[in-house]
Amino acid sequence: MNPQSLDQPWGRGFSAKHSHVFASHQAISAKNFLPRGLGRSYGDLCVNDGGTLLHTFRRDRLLSFDDVHGVLTCEAGASLADIAEAMLPRGWFLPVVPGTRYVTVGGAIANDVHGKNHHGGGTFGRFVKSCALYRTDWESTQQLAADDEMFHGVIGGLGLTGVIREASVQLKRVPGPGIEQETILFGGDGSIDNYLALDEASKPWEYTVGWIDTLDRGLRGVFFRGRHCDGPDEWLSPRSAKLTVPFDAPRWLLGRWSAKTFNSLYYRANSLRTARRETIPLWQYFFPLDSVNHWNRAYGKRGFIQYQFVVPAAAARETVPRILAHLREANVASYLAVIKTFGDMPSPGFMSFPMAGTTVALDIPAPDAHDRRALDRADAMVADVSGRVYPAKDARMSATMYQRFFPQWQELEAMRDPAISSSFWRRVTQTAD
Amino acid sequence: MNDTNIVVVGATSAVAQAAIRQWAQRKQALTLIARSASELERIASDARVRSAPSVVTIIGDLTDATFIAETARTMNLPRTALVAYGSLSDSARADTDAAYLAAELNTNFVSAALWAQALAERMATDSATGGTIAVISSVAGDRGRGSNHAYGAAKAGLTAFCSGLRARMAARRVHVVTIKPGFIDTPMTAHIVKKGALWATPEAVAAGIIHAIDKKRDVVYLPGFWRLIMLIIKHIPERIFKRLKL
Repeated sequence: MNPQSLDQPWGRGFSAKHSHVFASHQAISAKNFLPRGLGRSYGDLCVNDGGTLLHTFRRDRLLSFDDVHGVLTCEAGASLADIAEAMLPRGWFLPVVPGTRYVTVGGAIANDVHGKNHHGGGTFGRFVKSCALYRTDWESTQQLAADDEMFHGVIGGLGLTGVIREASVQLKRVPGPGIEQETILFGGDGSIDNYLALDEASKPWEYTVGWIDTLDRGLRGVFFRGRHCDGPDEWLSPRSAKLTVPFDAPRWLLGRWSAKTFNSLYYRANSLRTARRETIPLWQYFFPLDSVNHWNRAYGKRGFIQYQFVVPAAAARETVPRILAHLREANVASYLAVIKTFGDMPSPGFMSFPMAGTTVALDIPAPDAHDRRALDRADAMVADVSGRVYPAKDARMSATMYQRFFPQWQELEAMRDPAISSSFWRRVTQTAD
Repeated sequence: MNDTNIVVVGATSAVAQAAIRQWAQRKQALTLIARSASELERIASDARVRSAPSVVTIIGDLTDATFIAETARTMNLPRTALVAYGSLSDSARADTDAAYLAAELNTNFVSAALWAQALAERMATDSATGGTIAVISSVAGDRGRGSNHAYGAAKAGLTAFCSGLRARMAARRVHVVTIKPGFIDTPMTAHIVKKGALWATPEAVAAGIIHAIDKKRDVVYLPGFWRLIMLIIKHIPERIFKRLKL
């Protein structure tokens, strides 16, 4: 699996100058480098402007699989896409998947990614049994067990704690390649009460997620809940992407009105299937956008960012609608946003993003100065209730805000490999203003 | 389950690794040959996890004629073989370093030809089944270019050798497929960061190789558009061609 760009992050929008090194089994001599997998972080987390990127995506061998306990050991450049395709025919699936399967195991660990089963399963890091870490100050690779102090920094450590060479991951048994899905409409009254009730009632479902129309005053949305089930053999591997976005979308297509139209159409399309139970291939359930190549081009040359925040459970009912109303009133265009309620499973990583509470992720095309100010105010609203903004999707939060969201950041700084840095880390750790 | 043996010579190359994965997923038994023991062990592990029923590894110097002859004679009888290694010669160094030029020609042409010959003879010993050998040559062998004359010449030799071997072995039930890939995005070409539409992934090239073996094709360009590009390049008059910076 190759990344779509060696220089740009997934959200594009800016370019950086890098020298490139490809990971091998040899010692690493680069100074000021950043390990990088498939480059699916949206902003400067996977960028090291003026420095070196150490690409790991070709170190992707599966090394052993214990099919009694379901523990897979692989090189950290292996993609979740590849693992899922190799293991599904044997009845195993990944314990946690984000919205794209085109991420490496190393990237999933470094960002401690979450998915639609967070309420019951927690983050990816909870399923990492051990990992092999190379650090330039060790000049060697060492095996870290889940109770090692360094391990707690590696999980969610943004790639700064060293080069993750290998990892052992607990997979889960599944009955087959299908997902039994139910689709339910919610909202319309301007609150998320309806959503929260639906989410609470859906706790027994393994996977839950909502799509919410943040441009609609009523905050209408569509709730999807799913669980694994069997399916025909042709679902064992994904259909190869038939669609490609061939070029950058023009600017006029990306305004608030297109977003409104898109959201209405999306809502209407789903209202036809409401309360219906259906069985679909798991690829389609977990990774709907992976079936379109280069979908990031749909946001135009100037790129986009994603704004994902989480607020604690006690504050969610009040704060989420308030932040969404603020962004709507500030005319921040956003296509359908995702809403998800996290569970309270603790992550082994002390820098992990998820917390018990409700998270919302919004796509924002090419944020201008006005959008940025609106987002800065949203940051403050999140910080006031002790929430957080997700670094993996960020390209803009201020150092002050980052340090409020992650007051433990200095512990990560202390564990950082002295030769590793990223544009993101330099941005958010500069002296807070 | 298919326990007929597939041999891959140069198993650590990116295209070979991609082909090995696809064969492993199809539950084929594999014999993998390469120089680097540690890398080969990882590739073998990967094939096992991906469902290859048996994986044998053989470590040695792929350019050593004695090793080639001995390995081809003693290995499990192959029904399919892929000769998949090469070295992208540095033309500037070859200009002045004769020993380097000789070693590069030996790697890219002589040793690959020896493997193809030895594998063909071994397959022919079982006249009931025979076999198929795919040899990775290159579009670079279609015409000598100034920018990679050493590599191109070796691959031209290899293409001609395969063509002749295919004719020699036709009556003995051994088929030879000549593979001519264009630019492939691999560690061998990792120093080139800006890659355009002409670049193919190792996975796509590997899928093309397996398809060509299954269909017993003679000569395949991968991706197929290279046949047209090379047709044009072959027909540029030498008087003009020698001045082009290709």
